[in-house]
Amino acid sequence: MPGHLRFENVGMCFRMYREKVNTLKEAVLGRFRHLKHVDEFWAMRDVSFEVKPGESVGLIGHNGSGKSTLLKIAAGILTATEGAVHVEGRISPMIELAAGFDPDLSGRDNVFLNGVLMGHTRREMEAKFDHIVDFAELREFIDVPVKNYSSGMYARLGFAIAADVEPEILMIDEVLAVGDERFQQKCQERIRAIKEAGCTIFFVSHSLNTVAELCERVLVMDHGKLVFDGPPQPAIDRYRELQGLSRPPPVRGPS
Amino acid sequence: MNIARPVLQVYDFRELILLLVGRDLKVRYKRSILGMFWTLLNPLLQMAVYTLVFSTIMKVGVPGFPVFLMAGLLPWTLVSVATIGASVSLINNQGLIRKVAVPQAVYPLAVVASKLVDMVLSLAPLVVLAALLGRPPGLPWVFLPVALLIATVFSAGLALLFSTLTVFFRDVRHLIDILFQVWFYLTPVLYPVSYLEKLPYPWMKSLLMLNPVVYVVQCFQAPIYEGRFPEARMVLLASLSAAGSLVLGFLVFLRGEKRHIHYF
Repeated sequence: MPGHLRFENVGMCFRMYREKVNTLKEAVLGRFRHLKHVDEFWAMRDVSFEVKPGESVGLIGHNGSGKSTLLKIAAGILTATEGAVHVEGRISPMIELAAGFDPDLSGRDNVFLNGVLMGHTRREMEAKFDHIVDFAELREFIDVPVKNYSSGMYARLGFAIAADVEPEILMIDEVLAVGDERFQQKCQERIRAIKEAGCTIFFVSHSLNTVAELCERVLVMDHGKLVFDGPPQPAIDRYRELQGLSRPPPVRGPS
Repeated sequence: MNIARPVLQVYDFRELILLLVGRDLKVRYKRSILGMFWTLLNPLLQMAVYTLVFSTIMKVGVPGFPVFLMAGLLPWTLVSVATIGASVSLINNQGLIRKVAVPQAVYPLAVVASKLVDMVLSLAPLVVLAALLGRPPGLPWVFLPVALLIATVFSAGLALLFSTLTVFFRDVRHLIDILFQVWFYLTPVLYPVSYLEKLPYPWMKSLLMLNPVVYVVQCFQAPIYEGRFPEARMVLLASLSAAGSLVLGFLVFLRGEKRHIHYF
């Protein structure tokens, strides 16, 4: 069934080389010793959960808790070091809205570039184009290079594209923080509509209110572990508790 | 390793390659007054300088030297510029690679496609030049699309190979410049391949003929300069070189693809 996602004991280990070796000369002079002196950093370990079609799941946790790593593994950007990942259905391959924007290209070109990066054809994007531009309210500026956009305009266009490419599993990462209140409202309505259409939604945010409002289930990550999986309110309580009691979060690992 | 799946995945993203080429062309010619003309001007200027040095000053005895030179210079430029450009393509696109899961081969392949566009454009001044110098396009020119395909496939293999190597060893970026400089002089572009017969030692010729670009370049020189179809043996060797380059490049690329993200 499309829209199904399952993680089984998934772990992601980053190898951090103490001495960064960038050149062949350094490697040869060090007799490739750098390959042996490796610190392992587990950004995430023993994470198991299952998301059923049509569910909307929130993902919260402190900076560096492994949220992005989780999304990257789900999207296929990173390959898990251990465990198994099952994805059924089209997952959006992009973990950040507007990740594929090229600042020098116009809004129009970027709509096509991003759509195609997400696996659509240009013809499909042509059909969606007007709808995207109207939703983003950027008709006037669509032929301006996006580097001249305000951050709100940037986010609006990014969200409008992501919301219109209809993946079966949609990942939304911290977008609603940027737009103004009216646009945030509009986005939330849109997310609800996508949800009602049966799309699985993965929503990452630090805005706990929005998470509580949009998701029926929340995963809490803490130092690379999945520490809670359940309804929003207890999840938020757990998260707050961890924030207050646990050590300050360590430095973010490489992403 | 099952090779069909990654090939199909790249094929699925062929439109992305086209858009990346469009992006490259747009960004490259932005705010330049002459725009596309630079693409045409560059090989012509190169041709003028090489003709001056090698034909006028050093008297390499090749009639219609400018046409001969262009016939070899165009495919050589495609191979070298595409490979050198593609060698940094993964590093330049690391922002995308970190955030979007698409087959990474699209980035070096887009560079090759973009340089192919340049090369096809510079065929236009070549036609004019050839006609002016008494070697107007004839029937053998219909072979050129095949020659272009061979040169492109050959470049694509090198582009894939060097793009992944550069991620692991940044030296490759510098090494490649030197490599292509030496390679250029060893390839019969400034002199005809028949000059190799005059070498004092036969083993030298055999050694130099191991260079696969010799055959790729001759697929262009035969129709454009000599006005004849290239021999079957030549086409076969060029095609084998191209196929070998692509298979080698793609296999090495696939081996590294999943680890690239850890080396940026």
